[in-house]
Amino acid sequence: MSATTTAAAPGTRARPGGWVGAATSTDHKRIGLNLGLSSLAFFLLGGVFALLMRSQIAQPNEHFVSDNTYNQLFTMHGSTMIYLFVTPMAIALAIYLVPLQLGATGMSAPRLTLTGFWVWLSGGLIMESSWLTADGAGRAGWFSYTPLSNGTNTPGVGQDLWVMGVLLAAIGMWVMGACVVATIARRRAPGMSLLRMPVFTWTELASMLMVVGAFPALILVMALLFIDRHGGRIFTGFNGTIDYQDLFWFFGHPVVYVMFFPYLGAAAEAIAVGSHKRWFGYTAFVASIMLFAALSVSVWAHHMFVTGGVTNQYFAFTSTALIVPAGIEYFDAIATMVRGSLVLRASMLFAITFFVQFLIGGLTGVFVASPVLDYHVNNSYFVIAHFHYTLFAGSVFGFFAGVYHWFPKVTGALLRERLGKLQLAIMIVGTNMTFFPMFFLGEDGMPRRISRYPTHLGWGTLNLIESVGAGIIALGVLTFLINVFVSLHRRVPSGPDPWLGHTLEWATPSPPPPLNFETSLPPIRSYAPLLDLRQREAEGARS
Amino acid sequence: MRGGAIPLLAWATLLVVLMAGNWIWTGDSVQVGSFALAAGLVYAFAALLVAWNGQALKTGPPPSEDEPEAVPEASLAAVLVGLSIACIGFGLVWAGFLIYFGAGVLVLSLGRVVLELRAELAARDALKARDAIEEPRP
Repeated sequence: MSATTTAAAPGTRARPGGWVGAATSTDHKRIGLNLGLSSLAFFLLGGVFALLMRSQIAQPNEHFVSDNTYNQLFTMHGSTMIYLFVTPMAIALAIYLVPLQLGATGMSAPRLTLTGFWVWLSGGLIMESSWLTADGAGRAGWFSYTPLSNGTNTPGVGQDLWVMGVLLAAIGMWVMGACVVATIARRRAPGMSLLRMPVFTWTELASMLMVVGAFPALILVMALLFIDRHGGRIFTGFNGTIDYQDLFWFFGHPVVYVMFFPYLGAAAEAIAVGSHKRWFGYTAFVASIMLFAALSVSVWAHHMFVTGGVTNQYFAFTSTALIVPAGIEYFDAIATMVRGSLVLRASMLFAITFFVQFLIGGLTGVFVASPVLDYHVNNSYFVIAHFHYTLFAGSVFGFFAGVYHWFPKVTGALLRERLGKLQLAIMIVGTNMTFFPMFFLGEDGMPRRISRYPTHLGWGTLNLIESVGAGIIALGVLTFLINVFVSLHRRVPSGPDPWLGHTLEWATPSPPPPLNFETSLPPIRSYAPLLDLRQREAEGARS
Repeated sequence: MRGGAIPLLAWATLLVVLMAGNWIWTGDSVQVGSFALAAGLVYAFAALLVAWNGQALKTGPPPSEDEPEAVPEASLAAVLVGLSIACIGFGLVWAGFLIYFGAGVLVLSLGRVVLELRAELAARDALKARDAIEEPRP
């Protein structure tokens, strides 16, 4: 905590309690919680869409939902997960945790952060409200390519609401991302130089820089698509289509890393704390994460290899170059565990699983970074498997590593370890049953986004396995919800620092008080000031 | 604050290097323009931080500050700004009157935010004045 005097601003009324208080609070922890809980609700909704989709294609010639409904389901599943769950959850973690890790009393521009949250939430609700229209929800896919998504080919208010919902959600996330960057730049505690910031904060900084740089492309392209749909004729002809894809993917690929880095940071914190060691190769990690973030802004057109409208060599080169920073991160994770005193708690196990599962997504990413291989698998289930291994098998496992790691800090109660490990086991089985067979189906030529397929193609068995797997994932999520319910109703108090944490958020009570820190902070001489403190105490006791 | 602009400048410069590669290799104006927009925004953000406080370019850990700080606890106006922007967006799709309603609420709530910010500055000045009085004289 900086040595400042703080006081409530007299122009602002004392914080009201209850729902109104929670909705209008400018406390970064409240905003982070509101954003996180809203995202989680959208995650459950997106999961229901996925289960409905999997029910439709579990067997050949299924008629569980109509073709049009299926189009809406896959559009809203992808849109809900990307715009309303994984990305905003990454921002929610930043809003809640970054000020604590920096030793700050709050966010920079807390009102703007609050405004950003409400714009995002309104955007999400507007997007989902498209289900209530006569035409149904958005149905042109989560990236809504033109000319499919223009006013002629996808008419109706539902698609307009989708466009406006995405536009508003993107504006809200951009505003919140900018506030996180400003907080990191301006509100570090005395002694916390840039190279003494925690690993998680660095991953959030890299992510939020991408939000600041790349999300305006989405805001621009959605605004232009809205105008196009209302007679503006912006994306016309071949060049118009390619321009739309260029602008969309300029956002669309960086967002994959916005949905990855914070969860990588969460997994890294869980591994370092669970190994009772410093994160190995801190400086190399920081350099690699910044390089990773910059490279990931330069690879977007690998989504467009087959269009013939982009220079494939440049994007194949930059996409393949991503191996270098990714390799550094894997090396650091393994080296952190080597000779550590490993305590295999649920958070640590989720973190290790994150690295293992993401590896499958990462390695298949190397395949599709090659234009020749991409031509073969483009628009097939191979691509679906690849990105679900990065976003679900990767990010979601990293997210749960973070949840099990920081839940005690947020609530003051410990989650049940046994239920956590049970959830992990269920989710590993479910995830691999759901997504691994997709590689074979894709290689066999099953295109994405088909609502039914004939029997003679022989895709029925693998699809049935996938649908059962999706149900098992739902069971895993249910186990998590039960764990949260049980842990909050039969509380096992966590105390301020149940894991012997390394970073400043563990130097304050759980849950943290309104201005975060009640006592002066420990001296900050590295990214792990609490570990430093314990080591000095141990050395003092020995001597 | 110290050094806050450095990672932004470093990262934006990395983007410029990659943009140059893209320009040489592809010559595609939309792609180069997208890169330029991203790098420009991050540079602009860094410039804003430097304009706010020159320390943003200096290396080393932030020193102890004795500046008082006024902390807002809640802001209905900030919520209304967000909702009014959404209202305008919803109005563009659904019903025109919501655009005007949203614009009206936006103006009023922005006015309220300005008042809150002025009160915050006044509170900070009052704390500064109090601290100056309480300081022991040499």
